[in-house]
Formats: sequence, structure tokens, C-alpha cells
Amino acid sequence: MSLLRRSVATLAAAAAVLAGTAGCGSGSEGGGGKTKLSFFSWENEQTMKPLIDAFEKQNPGIDIEFSTAPPVAEYISTLQTRLVSGTAADVFVIAAENKTNLVQGGFVKDLTGKPFMANMSKFNTEAWSVDGKAYGMSISSWSAGILYNKDVLAKAGVTEFPTKWDDFIALCQKLKAAGTTPYYESATGLPLSIAALVGHENARQGGGVDAQIFAGQKKFGDLWTGPLTTYNQLFTSGVMTKDVVGLKGEQIVDEFTNGRVAMIAAGPWDVPTLRQKAPDLNLVFAGVPTPDGKPFWAGAASPGWAINAKTQHEKEAEAFLTYLGSKEAVTLFNKETAAMTTTSDVTPVVDKVLEPNLQALKEGAFYLPQIAWPRVQDALNTEMVAQIQLMIQGQAKPEDVAAALDNRLKSS
Amino acid sequence: MTVLGRRAPAVTGALSWLMSPKRLEGLRLQAFMVPIGVVFAVLFAIPLAQSLYFSVTDFNGYSTKVNFVGLENYRKIFTDPSMLAGLGFTLLYAIGTTVIVTVLAIPLAVLLNRRFFGRNVVRAVFFFPAIPSIAILGLVWAFILSPLGSGAINWLLDAVGGFGPVPWLSDGTLAQLSVIMVAVWSSTGWHAILYLAYLQAIPGDYYEAARVDGASARQAFFRITLPLLAPAVTVSSLLLMTGGLKVYDLPYTLTKGGPGYATFTITQSIIQSGIAQAKFGQASALAVVFMLVVGAIVALQLVLSRRLEGRLS
Repeated sequence: MSLLRRSVATLAAAAAVLAGTAGCGSGSEGGGGKTKLSFFSWENEQTMKPLIDAFEKQNPGIDIEFSTAPPVAEYISTLQTRLVSGTAADVFVIAAENKTNLVQGGFVKDLTGKPFMANMSKFNTEAWSVDGKAYGMSISSWSAGILYNKDVLAKAGVTEFPTKWDDFIALCQKLKAAGTTPYYESATGLPLSIAALVGHENARQGGGVDAQIFAGQKKFGDLWTGPLTTYNQLFTSGVMTKDVVGLKGEQIVDEFTNGRVAMIAAGPWDVPTLRQKAPDLNLVFAGVPTPDGKPFWAGAASPGWAINAKTQHEKEAEAFLTYLGSKEAVTLFNKETAAMTTTSDVTPVVDKVLEPNLQALKEGAFYLPQIAWPRVQDALNTEMVAQIQLMIQGQAKPEDVAAALDNRLKSS
Repeated sequence: MTVLGRRAPAVTGALSWLMSPKRLEGLRLQAFMVPIGVVFAVLFAIPLAQSLYFSVTDFNGYSTKVNFVGLENYRKIFTDPSMLAGLGFTLLYAIGTTVIVTVLAIPLAVLLNRRFFGRNVVRAVFFFPAIPSIAILGLVWAFILSPLGSGAINWLLDAVGGFGPVPWLSDGTLAQLSVIMVAVWSSTGWHAILYLAYLQAIPGDYYEAARVDGASARQAFFRITLPLLAPAVTVSSLLLMTGGLKVYDLPYTLTKGGPGYATFTITQSIIQSGIAQAKFGQASALAVVFMLVVGAIVALQLVLSRRLEGRLS
């Protein structure tokens, strides 16, 4: 009997411990009458801490309970698990990869017309909207193009970067003939120049082509075959080899830093590394040359902050977003991340080399298919990258890539 | 009364059997099974049952509202070219690494079992690649196998033989070979140490007797060492095969599954469909099919290994 009693007591103790740990969840009333507001971010703590400290100082009744997971897959899966188990944070990040599921599942609050949204750029708000309702507050955007070493091009007699694609190919061939590797662009993900070329084609056709594709009025080939054929000239003309399929972004930056390549496809995220590794490089950013000479950029609105539809602290969550969108917070965020912020009352301080990128954002000359697609973004992205790699290897034609995207959309 | 009167001795008998010291001792011993039983239920049985259930639904990982879709998810996975490609490379990887590591690890273990200066250091050097995370090794090897002339191996090939650069990770076939090669490099030492443990259990008398009888080193290896290592081969190849079939981190960090779908794996497909693409039902169907395939392969391998053991011993 004593053994039985001991076993029951042990089980009861274990159950009590489990029950205690199961009580953890999203924000609640903290000690000292403070409200705990949980915030799940994909920016790391070092980046967000100054903003959180400043917010807590201004709002002594609210404590931010911060948690983070690195983008993209780990963040998405962690948030997914927490949402299904009912333990998601009061405020979290909405991204291209989970936008459709978050909105369709009713996990995020409609932020349309909220006072803090007035300060956001129209483009950023539209990026995180579905059927005209805004679900995320995004304060920055990014644009990526071609980064070149001005001194290397000057040595080759080039003083002005080409805006037409044919001239760009001619420049690459000239550099190659002079013994310089002209251009590298990673193809382990979507090549940035393809995003820009497709964006340019979308603009040329009047915009909104992706919506027509998803509505069944057009095929991917209508938008993609031309730009893919243009991009493929990099390989058919011998400017780039199929080696780029196995090259990661950081390897390409390394080649550029060490002067082994004249031009690379790059974004704002590469600039701090380049400044650190090679402060003397004479860097210039340019838009991707296009067939008609109107350069275009790859780019998108940065992920937004959303409010959990089931939050018990809506007022506090709105106060937090109000602060994150304020002049003070946006200035701090720009200082911490060097992000190109797009709110109406802050002029971001960016590295001088990124001024053309900022100009492109103002002109709206940028595009990213994953953001433009209303659904099945990841499945299409995986298929697109695999098919482009096959095209680079000469195992698929541009029209095959477009057809594979149509098939993937149909089967998803 | 009659009924009660009849049942009373039976109840008393059952109670006394339940409370008997022998029974209590049995219960006490069985209590030790509870932790592993809980672990088995929580980490295997329940997730497996959930996977079976989700595999016939349209669950997307977000919404709690699910609809029964029958075998639709199974139909999709058998008609998706990327998943079939993933299955192909996963099998190639699992079989390739199992065979190559086994062929290399046994002779290496025999060498490491001999007496020579610095033997412990050499053993540690061979064991070292198994210590760091395979994901970190993948990132490091991505630089070593860079298809550019500045990549470590290509630079060496150019310096020594004046040829290259070789597109290690840019060509489909070479990328598959590269992934398998890195896996072999990281696993061979660990499995050699496993074989070494078995080798050290072989009595020296056997070799002494063989030498007296005039057996050559080759004969001693094939007639004594290899047969007595047969149980180790079973253990090692089982670990390699199960690990190989579940592989995800190494191909992902080296090639992200490319070029095209050349190094795409089933686990990558399950993770991608279930998490990134919110197709939990489809990912569950793939997981169920994969579990059956893994079970069948491992069962077949065990049968073959046992037969081999019987034939050698």
C-alpha cells in the first residue's frame, strides 16, 4: 500500500509540475499591476531592445515580453505552432510567407483606418493588405540592383553605367575580353535581376499582371518568358557560367571584395559587409538594365507588425504599434538597422551608396514576385528557383520555366 | 445473499493476489517502464496517429477546421515530380553513404587497432569530423567546394595539376557526389571507432592460432576479423541507413536541394510542404509513406544482415 501511495503521490507531483508549465502563454497581468504585452519578432533582441526600452519608459504600465526567431522558416514555423496552440504573442510579424494563412485563418486584426497607419506609405500598407483591409504595419522597404566598382569600370573606359540590356551584355563582354570577370549573381534563390526584369515587364504591361494570372486570365508565360529569355542571354553569350547555380550570396560578395569580379547583384544588406571588408572600394549601385533602357529594381516592402486577433490587450498592442510607427521609433530603427524607412515624417539616413536604391523606392520602380503573388508563394518560389537553375544548366527553356509555374499554381 | 456469499471469497482472493509481495514487486519493476512508455507515446505513437489522421485531411497547420479529403494527399505526392526526385536522391544518399562508409570504416578500424606512435591522436583526428554540427560542416564545405577558381579544392587542383575549376555544386551529378562525399568524410571516423570497439573484443588468441597455422594477414582478416565484426556491420549499417534516409541538414546547407531538384530530400520536402507551404495534410501523407518505406528498407536490411552474420560466423 505504501508503494501504491508513493506512486500516486509521485504522479500527482509530476502532474502539478506539468500543470504549472502549461500555464505559460501570451501576455498577461504582470507584477506590480503592469500589463505584460508579448511581442514575437524576427529582428533580434539587440536590434529591438532600444525601441522596447524607449516604449516601456514612455508607457510605465506596460512590460514588453520579447521573443524572437530568425527569419524565415524558423520564424514561420514557431509562429504557426504558437497560433495553433493559442499561445501566440499579442504582436508579431506578418511576412509574405504567412500573410495568406494569417488573414484567412482570422489570426490578425484589421488595422485599416487606425491612427498609427496614417503615417505609413501607401505602398507598404497595400503590401500587407488583403481585399482592401490592412493587416500589417510596415515602416521600411528595400531595393536591390547591380553593384559595381566604379574604378574597375573606369579602367575599361566605361564612365556611364548602361541602362539598356544589350549595352550591359556588351559591357560584360568587353570586361571579359580584358581579362576581368564581369558579373556574378547567385541563383540559389530567385536571381535579383530576374525579379527586376519581370517587374519591368509587369510595369510595361500596365501592372497587375500577377492578379490576372491568379484569376486565370493570363499565363505565367505572358509575364515571365520575355524576362527569362533576356536573363538567359547572360549564359548564352558566355558572360556568366553555370557555376552561379552553386554560389551563395556571401561567396559572391567575397569575390567582389577581393576584386575578382567587376559587378554583382546586391542589396542594402551587403553594404555593411563591404564597407567593413573593403572600405576603399568605389561602390555604385545601379538599377538592372532593361530591353527598353528604363532600369528597374528588385524590391519589396519589409515585413509588417500585426496584432493578434485574440489578444487580451488590444489597447496596449495599439499603443505599441503607435510607438513603433512614431518619428522617434522609426529614427531609432533606421539607426539600428540602416533600413530604408518609408514613413512620411522621417527621412532615413542611409549609406551614400544606397541613394539610387532609395530613389527607386520613391519612384516605385521595384518588384518582387513573391510579394505580388496573392497565395502559394513558397511552393511557386521553390519551383521557380529549381526551374531557373535547370534553365541555367541548359536543361530547360524559358518557356518551360513559365509552364512549370503554371502547373505548380494549378496543382496547389 | 447467496450471490454475495459466493463472490466474497473471489473478491478477497483477487485483492490478496493484487496486494501480494510478488505482484507489488512486479508493479515496482514495471514502473521503470513508465518513463520510456511516456516518451514513446508522446514522441512517437501520438505524433504518428496525428500524422495518419492529418494525411487524410486538408489541415494547413493554421486553421483548426479540417475537412476529410480521403486519399487526395497521397495521390498528389505520387504525381509531384519534386517529391519523386526527393525520394530518388534520398535513397541514393542513404545507400551510397552506407556502402562507402562501411567499406572505408572497417579497414580504417583495423589500421587504428594496430600499435603505432601517436595512435590516440590519429584516432581523435578521424573521430573529430563527427563532433561539429553537420549544418556547420555543410556551410564550411560550401566554401571548400565552391565552383569558382578561388574555392579551396579548385585552387588546389589548379595549383597541382593546372586544371579546373570543377563545378562541384553547380552540376547536378557532381552536386550529388559532393553531398555524399562530405557525408562519408564526416561519418567514416565515427563508424571506424565503433568497429574498433568490436575489434578490441576479438581475443588475440585467434590471431595467434592463425599465425601458428600459417595463415596470411589477408586470410586472418577475411576468416577471423570480418566474421567477428558482422554484428558491428549490422549496427553500423542500420545507423547509417536510418540516418541517411532522414537526411536534411547537410544537403540543405550545401546546395539547398539544387541544382534543380538534384539534391532535394524527402525530409526537406516534408518540412517545406508542412511549414513553409502550409500543406500539413500533404506533408503528413508524405511522412506516412516515408515511414513505411523506411520501415521496409530497415527490415530488409536487418534480414540481410542477420543472414550475412549467419553465413560468416
